[in-house]
Amino acid sequence: MIAKHDVLVVGAGCAGMRAAIEAFDAGADVAMISKIHPTRSHSGAAEGGINAALGNASEDDPEIHAFDTVKGSDYLGDQDGIQILCDEAPGDVYQLENWGAVFSRTEDGRIAQRPFGAAGAPRTAYAADITGHVLVQVLWEQVCKRDIPTYEEFFAWQLVLNEDRCQGVVCWDLLNGGLKTIGAKTVILATGGAGRLYTGTTNAYSCTGDGMAMALRAGLPLKDMEMMQFHPTTLAPTGVLITEGCRGEGAYLLNKDGERFLKRYAPNTMELASRDVISRAEQMEIDGGRGVDGNVLLDLRHLGAERIIERLPGSRELAMTFLGVDPIYDPIPVRPGAHYHMGGVATDVWGQTELTGLYAAGECACVSVHGANRLGGNALMETITYGKRSGRHAADWALSHTTVEVPESAERDAERELSALLDRTDGERPWSIRDELASTMHENFGVFRRERQMEEQGRIVAGLRERYQRALVEDKGEVFNSDLTGTIELGFLLDLAECMVVAGIERKESRGAHARPDDYPVRDDENFMKHTIVRLVDGAPQLSWEPVRMTKWQPQERKY
Amino acid sequence: MSATETPLKRVAYYKGCLASLSAKELDTSTQALAPQLGLELVELESVTCCGAGDIHEAEPDYYLHLNARILTYAEATGADMLLTVCNVCTLNLRQANYMLQGDSDLLARVNENLVTVGAPAYSGGVEVRHLLWEIAEGPGYEKLKQVAHRGLKGLKVAPFYGCQILRPSKILGFEDPDRPWSLERIIEACGGEAIDYPAKIKCCGFPIIQAREETAMGELIQPVEQALEAGADVMVTPCPLCHLSLDAWQSKLETSTGRTFQLPILHLAQLVGVAAGLEEAELKFKRHIVDPRPALERLEV
Amino acid sequence: MKVALKIWRYDSATGDRALKEYEIEAPEWATLLDCLDIVKDRHDGSLAYRKSCRMMICGSCGMRMDGAAVLACKTRMYDIAEAGHIPVVSAMGNLPIRKDLVVDMEPFWAKFMAMKPWLQPGYERPEDGREYPISQERMNVVHKESLCINCGCCVSECNAMESDPEFLGPQALAKGMRFVGDPRDAATIERLEAYNSEHGIWDCTRCFFCNERCPKGVDPRDAIAKLGAESVAQGIDRDMGAKHAKWFVKSAETTGWLRETELVPKTQGVVSAIKQTKFALGLALHGKVPPPFPPHVARNVNEARNLRKLVREQDRQGALGHVQGEHALAKLDHGHAGESLEEIYDRPGAAPRPWLPEEAPQK
Repeated sequence: MIAKHDVLVVGAGCAGMRAAIEAFDAGADVAMISKIHPTRSHSGAAEGGINAALGNASEDDPEIHAFDTVKGSDYLGDQDGIQILCDEAPGDVYQLENWGAVFSRTEDGRIAQRPFGAAGAPRTAYAADITGHVLVQVLWEQVCKRDIPTYEEFFAWQLVLNEDRCQGVVCWDLLNGGLKTIGAKTVILATGGAGRLYTGTTNAYSCTGDGMAMALRAGLPLKDMEMMQFHPTTLAPTGVLITEGCRGEGAYLLNKDGERFLKRYAPNTMELASRDVISRAEQMEIDGGRGVDGNVLLDLRHLGAERIIERLPGSRELAMTFLGVDPIYDPIPVRPGAHYHMGGVATDVWGQTELTGLYAAGECACVSVHGANRLGGNALMETITYGKRSGRHAADWALSHTTVEVPESAERDAERELSALLDRTDGERPWSIRDELASTMHENFGVFRRERQMEEQGRIVAGLRERYQRALVEDKGEVFNSDLTGTIELGFLLDLAECMVVAGIERKESRGAHARPDDYPVRDDENFMKHTIVRLVDGAPQLSWEPVRMTKWQPQERKY
Repeated sequence: MSATETPLKRVAYYKGCLASLSAKELDTSTQALAPQLGLELVELESVTCCGAGDIHEAEPDYYLHLNARILTYAEATGADMLLTVCNVCTLNLRQANYMLQGDSDLLARVNENLVTVGAPAYSGGVEVRHLLWEIAEGPGYEKLKQVAHRGLKGLKVAPFYGCQILRPSKILGFEDPDRPWSLERIIEACGGEAIDYPAKIKCCGFPIIQAREETAMGELIQPVEQALEAGADVMVTPCPLCHLSLDAWQSKLETSTGRTFQLPILHLAQLVGVAAGLEEAELKFKRHIVDPRPALERLEV
Repeated sequence: MKVALKIWRYDSATGDRALKEYEIEAPEWATLLDCLDIVKDRHDGSLAYRKSCRMMICGSCGMRMDGAAVLACKTRMYDIAEAGHIPVVSAMGNLPIRKDLVVDMEPFWAKFMAMKPWLQPGYERPEDGREYPISQERMNVVHKESLCINCGCCVSECNAMESDPEFLGPQALAKGMRFVGDPRDAATIERLEAYNSEHGIWDCTRCFFCNERCPKGVDPRDAIAKLGAESVAQGIDRDMGAKHAKWFVKSAETTGWLRETELVPKTQGVVSAIKQTKFALGLALHGKVPPPFPPHVARNVNEARNLRKLVREQDRQGALGHVQGEHALAKLDHGHAGESLEEIYDRPGAAPRPWLPEEAPQK
């Protein structure tokens, strides 16, 4: 054990940094572990904004925000968690501003807010189209101010379990090599999503579901893992994100004929329907032969050069760099791409998991505030509010409990696994397994899901897991061995894919991101208004169900 | 058709501070060369220093106005081009020009101030170009080939671009800032051999040579050392500030390193001037610290 | 397409350095980062480089291609491969190399920290518990600086830092300007004092490599100039760099032209200037030290003098003097000609005009 802390945060994106800041301010000795430098975190790629009912652009209320979120979740969100998020959001956003966040401003100098999908008011506070970047910067600034230590380029690999508590993390020191164990009274997982399960994804290479998989392997339950959101506007072929802010600013979605096809799917809100609805509509257009090379067209032309340059410069830059398309003159070809995992490590409204001392926050957690479909702008908000809450709770708990004990076996076991990986001199290079996983997940567990394909995917994942046992790490060195960490990440992804398929097959209805057009095309509240829970039992995923926590919103038909 | 038969192109000529003072040789050689290259230089009398980047740094609003004043007096000559012979002037003037041309509100405000002090208002009709660009392509280049009759046969010339003729490229924009070609093309048109070395696009250290001499000398030594290693007989630069740093501070490099460099540094107009047969009265090599004449004497054919 | 790459491999454990060539098959849309991935996956798993977002926002994949710092994820390879060029890929400059294309960022972040890179507000919290109201115009002062992704491309190429490794450098100083220009920050003077230190803003040699290389349009050199302007406006001008800059102002408004001979004593002070006497005499022999009298005075120099008086009354001192030009300069990047929507819709090969299902398609 190289060090111990009251609170150890794994991951240093928005949720992780916000948690660390809160724990520090509560008086705890806190540190962060991150496999990349904090400002490299994928929170920084969030573009469009952060939702809070500030009422700066028009009248708004946390209550309306909460209802929009409940409805957006297709009634799978836990309403207590949603209410907390929406109530605390305004204060949390003001705090970010007070810390120095460079938000765009209204005429009267207030934080500017723009319309976003499925929102009853222009509620999305933004900084042009680099909101995530601006928030990562301001949180990093606050971390610097507090001098909170970061174990930078430390790859978190295994949780240390001792006496029914989580008491630390075993890491691989990426820059220098070697296993390093850090003890902690409480551990907060804030490792983000697992978009790398898919070929076309908005997610960074780092988004490999490490925290979810570590928790799963430690025996913890994952909730709603079948709920992977497909964002409607991503660039072919790799899935680079074009923000919903484009549509918030008024962009159209067109099929190959120029038709604003959403009129036929979401007549009231059109391009500002919720993401699941739009992604499905796009896929139907593409499957129906009305796409353009597997895409639909995001048309910004009528917004005019000035507005595009002022409000959406990053999107323009992305389109020009990756497609050579200038949105001032030409529509951007876009299609649905894997974007956000509504599911994750099951937590309560303080980020606590069922294991004492272990917390989760942000995308890797599932409170659940997003249910079956997340609203654009709610993810950043969740990282802040629930990062803060888990940091607070973890610090309070740590300050009232004294001991940290890391059994020597923890690092020894990890050492053994590591040797097995590194000593292998013959086998299959992991990339072929990784690429096959991603392409088959896209094919068989994408925007639309079919029983036969999901079962097929189950078999494919099992086969890939088999092959993974022989994965060959070619780099045997100590310094910056990303061949090793990449291989471990692939193992994480395979575990998660298995859980997703199990949960997906058993949810025999269509709800939010889980759309089964052939066999169960409608929502079935009677049988499935409940969460899937997957945990490993004897090494195999086992499914159970948990009720949705409802307070005041009864399910209604969901129309946009 | 000889060079003198075509009508001269009338351009406003901004010589800047150094060519008026310590680098008079740049002015005399430019003035002597210009008609041969098809240029009629209309010298601006009422103008001031462009600020050399220093006024831009210290009082940016004043910088903008001073440069606007230069541009408007250039425009008042009736020419549509302002010719410069200095990297730093080129960047400062082009930058100010883009600011004024691209923002009508800003132009209006600046013009109001210009008129208040008695200067004409600027309409944005002048393009700022360095002599280098004027003779590296187009009619200027054709003229250059004709006038460089005396040639630089056998002379190994190290082109030194310096910074502010290349970067920021969105403001300078003449050539690829990482793979410039203009000086090489001119050297070759004059019959010389352009030698290549990495530091030709780097900084000579001049802007901080007084405030941070040691740091500046750490920059300065790179082109000098590399050019000599690559076998250069002389070095040519389009910037009198680079020239001053490379020529005058070379002696300090020699003192601090205990080595001998003695690399002659030519202004662009001098290099072309030698090829075109200008005399010492115009070239004024005696004003250089490192005398280029011994290296050039070998040229006699 | 076939892509060939040469990569400088380096192993800090052994000190071994080698330029290795790889030939790969890559899709036509591939970026440099995609190509490195293919090399690592299929040719040599030990190749080390950083990556994460692959969409130009995380700042991980700064490296050099053919000697120029780039974000690998922003660098499309099609044209390079088509031209048959074999680019040389290497680690960024001005930072120690750990392995292959991975540099040690520690010195980079140390300079970042030296900026005290956090807001030091002049308030506890705004009285109404909400946001601090600021106009967009005021926030625009730090707009470009707030785009920085800390990739290090500017630092890699900084000519002054090559010569003085302690120079705070473009990245850190741009971060400094991000706070100096923020109306919410109350530590302006303290910051400017710190940034005016020996290795601070006046170390900048104005090579403009930082502006040229920055993949995000931060223009760090301009940020440094803004800090210079703020310093001078606040009277923080004891550094020789500031004195040097101020002498140009003085020259312009008195004679119009630089008073070159007086520049050295005005910058370095009389005592230091005397130490330079021998050097100066050498220059004088060649006419490089023009006599200060009679001064070389521009015609109508009173205009220049009056202009200064006038603009100093107009509240565009300090960084605002720079920011006012940014809107126009930004147009150089935008590359659009201000066509009307009708013209855009009518361009040859344009995508169809948008229409609603209830409307008849307009063909």
